[in-house]
Amino acid sequence: MVAERHEPMTTPSASGPSPSVVAPAASSTDVATSGKVLSWVLRQSRRALVLWAVAVAAVSAMYASFYTVMDGPEMSAMIEGMPEGLVAALGYDRIGTPAGYLESTVYGLLGPILLMVFGITLGARVLAGVEEDGSLELELTSGVSRRRVLVERYVALVLQLAALTVAVSVAIMVIVAGIDMEVSFGGLAAAGLGMLLFTLAVASVAFAAGAVTGRRAVGLAAGAGVGVLAFIADAFAGMLDDGRWLEALSPFSWYLMGDPLVEGVHVAGFGGLLAVSVVALAIAVTVFDRRDLGV
Amino acid sequence: MTASNDVVIRTDALVKDYGSIRALDGVDIEVRRGEVFGFLGPNGAGKSTMIRVLLDQLRPTAGHAEVLGETPREGGPGLRARIGYLPGELAMSGRATSQELLEHQAGLRGGAGRDRIAPLAERFGLELSRPVRALSKGNRQKVGVLQAFMHRPELLILDEPTSGLDPLLQHEFLALVREAQAGGATVFMSSHVLSEVEEIAERVAIIRQGRIVDLDEVATLRHHAGQRVTLTFAAPIDAAGFRSLPGVEDVEVEGTTVRCLLRGEPDALLKAAAAHHVVRWSAEDRELEDLFLDHYRVPAEELRADEEVTVDGR
Repeated sequence: MVAERHEPMTTPSASGPSPSVVAPAASSTDVATSGKVLSWVLRQSRRALVLWAVAVAAVSAMYASFYTVMDGPEMSAMIEGMPEGLVAALGYDRIGTPAGYLESTVYGLLGPILLMVFGITLGARVLAGVEEDGSLELELTSGVSRRRVLVERYVALVLQLAALTVAVSVAIMVIVAGIDMEVSFGGLAAAGLGMLLFTLAVASVAFAAGAVTGRRAVGLAAGAGVGVLAFIADAFAGMLDDGRWLEALSPFSWYLMGDPLVEGVHVAGFGGLLAVSVVALAIAVTVFDRRDLGV
Repeated sequence: MTASNDVVIRTDALVKDYGSIRALDGVDIEVRRGEVFGFLGPNGAGKSTMIRVLLDQLRPTAGHAEVLGETPREGGPGLRARIGYLPGELAMSGRATSQELLEHQAGLRGGAGRDRIAPLAERFGLELSRPVRALSKGNRQKVGVLQAFMHRPELLILDEPTSGLDPLLQHEFLALVREAQAGGATVFMSSHVLSEVEEIAERVAIIRQGRIVDLDEVATLRHHAGQRVTLTFAAPIDAAGFRSLPGVEDVEVEGTTVRCLLRGEPDALLKAAAAHHVVRWSAEDRELEDLFLDHYRVPAEELRADEEVTVDGR
């Protein structure tokens, strides 16, 4: 639903002396070439992105490499002493397998939490934050449509989350190859994709809530609320005797319920996550196009 | 009504509500091609609301607005690229330098104006390599002025343009406005300081609480404003003869000195004065500020606390 949005564009030549008055452009079409907003946002955020990528890669690699320590009898004994529900909630029931270990540490906990924090903050800031502090005003009053501003800023969010996912995935792949864990790269790719889709869904909620209200705080609250509820619902689903209905409600469960590290892409679960983002984006575009800006 | 081709901005009974607050209450304005139009009012009178409707940031509650022959919404980005807009409060965040921000702004208009960044920056003494968020208010305003003028737009919409600029740069700014006008541009500038626009505007609209309370040529406004005349005589005189003179108002007598407000020709006043021994006289144009204040003072009790009129501004 994003792809068809592209409108015909006029691209007046940038070379040569400008006439005393700019020639009338065809109305209601973007004057700026596509990607101008996107590249601007990415250039503005590259420093923060690099720092985040280094940090999440380092933490992921560190946790993954602890597997050599955890993969022993002491660990199994400790888990045996823990209550069953807690073990299941933490995902420790399968911690003895390489895939189970990676899932309970990196893919089921640290990765999604770190990426969620990044995604929610950026999702609320990249549109609503700059609208609220007024620094989006020049962009919104220039030769770009509201829709293009919104979509390109959303794409900037997607690309940055994807970059962090790649950073995590590469770090894990290096460790997996280095300490010879039995996890397929296909499984890692599927889990990475799932983690991206889950954190993007939460970030999209933050983005859309911000786009609808023009308030960064509302975006942050909506994103954090959905994210935390998703985690809680998933944890309870594991502890309850019949928790499947809770799993059906939690986007976090949609991400891990198909066991992507072993089984690969879970079409229904991943599709559901993608649908959340698509719906959030559609709502954001629709409302942002109609409402008063910067009030 | 003027032919539509000669009207650059037209509003028709324009109304804008924010919730239960009416910010614009039936504004009718026509700005003609090539003129400099002053839009005056105190803070909170609806100036920025009006401007933000023209730029399609706000959508009218009722009524109609047309800019360069199109409604702001229909015109969209194509229309906005033909406008140079200076926001009243220019917020800039991020690490970008002035150079980067201005180039980005040019890019958003299809590259128009990129070639004028360097010369205009030099003219206004703006250091392009410094990050925008570290700039002083005056330097930020320079960035705002540059991005508004650099692509030689057909229409300039300037919200409180000279705030933050020192007198020398205000002068340079006015020169830039005149050049734009000579190049065929139309200029719509708002201010809460009348002296700021009276030098350059041909016509002025005064807005108060969302309504246009006066719209006239600056010369006419000035005529209405009249002159403050002070006459000093050799001996105390009877003021009664002056009170009845045509065009003479607010006569005050203090010993041998008579002060009054004169509107229109001074002939009758001079002849009446000549009957006595005049030792000293002066006639000063009343500042348009005074007239501006007339509009806000009556009735004074209606004036809301947040309406403040700045009189000096220089």
